[in-house]
Amino acid sequence: MAEGEYIPIAALNQYAYCPHRCWRMFCLGGFVENQYTIEGTSLHDRVHTVEKGQPIGEEQQEETWQVRAVWLKSERYRLIGKSDLLEAQDGRWYPVEYKRGQRGDFENDELQVCAQALCLEEMTGQPVTTGYLYYAQSHQRQPVELSADLRQRTIETIAAVTDLLETGRMPPAVYSSRCQGCSLYSQCLPKAAVKVSRYREVE
Amino acid sequence: MGTLYITQDDSFIGKTDERLTVRANKQTLLDVPLIKVDGVVVLGRATVSPAVVMELLERRIALSFLTSTGRYLGRLEPELTKNIFVRSAQWKATLAVSAEQHAPSEAALHLVRGFVRGKLKNYRNSLLRAQREFPELQLQSAITQLEQAIDPIDRTNTIDSLRGLEGSGSAAYFGCFNQLIRVKAFQFAGRNRRPPTDPVNALLSLGYALLRHDVQSAVNLVGFDPYLGYLHTQRYGRPSLALDLMEEFRPLVVDAIVLSAINRRSLSPEAFVAEPLSGAVSLTSEGLRTFLRLYEQKKQSQFKHPVLQTQCTYQESFEIQARLMSKYLMGETEKYPPLVLK
Repeated sequence: MAEGEYIPIAALNQYAYCPHRCWRMFCLGGFVENQYTIEGTSLHDRVHTVEKGQPIGEEQQEETWQVRAVWLKSERYRLIGKSDLLEAQDGRWYPVEYKRGQRGDFENDELQVCAQALCLEEMTGQPVTTGYLYYAQSHQRQPVELSADLRQRTIETIAAVTDLLETGRMPPAVYSSRCQGCSLYSQCLPKAAVKVSRYREVE
Repeated sequence: MGTLYITQDDSFIGKTDERLTVRANKQTLLDVPLIKVDGVVVLGRATVSPAVVMELLERRIALSFLTSTGRYLGRLEPELTKNIFVRSAQWKATLAVSAEQHAPSEAALHLVRGFVRGKLKNYRNSLLRAQREFPELQLQSAITQLEQAIDPIDRTNTIDSLRGLEGSGSAAYFGCFNQLIRVKAFQFAGRNRRPPTDPVNALLSLGYALLRHDVQSAVNLVGFDPYLGYLHTQRYGRPSLALDLMEEFRPLVVDAIVLSAINRRSLSPEAFVAEPLSGAVSLTSEGLRTFLRLYEQKKQSQFKHPVLQTQCTYQESFEIQARLMSKYLMGETEKYPPLVLK
């Protein structure tokens, strides 16, 4: 990564999900849309419309301000990315990240919210204590507590992704249950190494 | 859908919304959604609208141009993928171990052995199959010669000697290819090309040109530089790596289609025309359409991939083999397994 370059916040989420996938997406540009990412895109398209000062339906709080698709940046952590939605109450901003489907078993979405919060804190000079994840399939908004522990894990992931983007070194492709539904499966072929070593060619 | 073949001379390839349209003589010949197209091959003369050119590049769909008889001319390519890692591994493997000995790198040697072994084993297996099916055929000596060419491959340490084994194996196979043709009207006396002067050679040449378009697309997709190969020496403008990877597929895809088209009488001698003077033989436009349909059907037919143990089409197997090759070069796997089918 050259001087003056920033880490895409989305890369943190991918790295936490699977370092090899992160390498494919951010070092190779081998990003293939599958139904999940396409649905994700159209969902994002809906979210990324700028509205200012619209009270939100869900919570009906008069004093909530919303801004969509704002660039977030942190000089300290060299992060850059777009937020789906920022909300402010009593002059305090917090991030809301939209996801298709339901909450997964992995904390990659939480890391993304935390990274957005780190940017927000730097940009506004105000502490952010809670962010939100909105899962489209369950129509549920879940609070993400920005604990010291989560912040620590986020900062560690930032360091790992920085190293990945600087060196371009390929993390191994390791097969796990997460591979199901991964849009890069056909490029990655995570079982190939084992299958190739077991394979006996016809004499 | 897959690959679109445009055979009508002077047709116009245009774009309407998200669809590709082919028109000729004020008639619409084709109207397909772009999302279903993964390759376009123009045989002969056609006008391609600027909007189509841009759309194909945007969507990373390759556009190949062949003469109306199927000789490969060239292609319009989207920018290669950013996969510099695969390409640097590919380049590294071309470097000789030592300049004075001209010893190839272990990786280059391994791959070339794989390409040659894959091709010759598939040749042998198709002869074995034919021998089982038709015991009266005299294929045993060719099978033995193929075995003798296959046997020393993994002990052979120069690319040139491997080319020699490939040459003698291919000679044995084509030496009895005529026995595999069971329709009197078609005779095969050996490979000839540029131009092919008999129907069987015309079909083989056309089939190999189509296969090349597909294999080269797969090689590009995975991120390779298609012009840098190991078995085929670098010659300007020749996609050596695509030709390398094609070897194992020649008998599996093209030879199989040619033999079944003739033996099942999908194509009769009337489907061919010969040029005066040169003797160049090519298909009539109807025969060409038939052959292209058979080729496309073959590509979409499924089999169990012997390494991955999953069902895949031949079309998908081009990409799978290219990915297995990249995994070997990147050090993710210990060997490159060529596609060998029983």
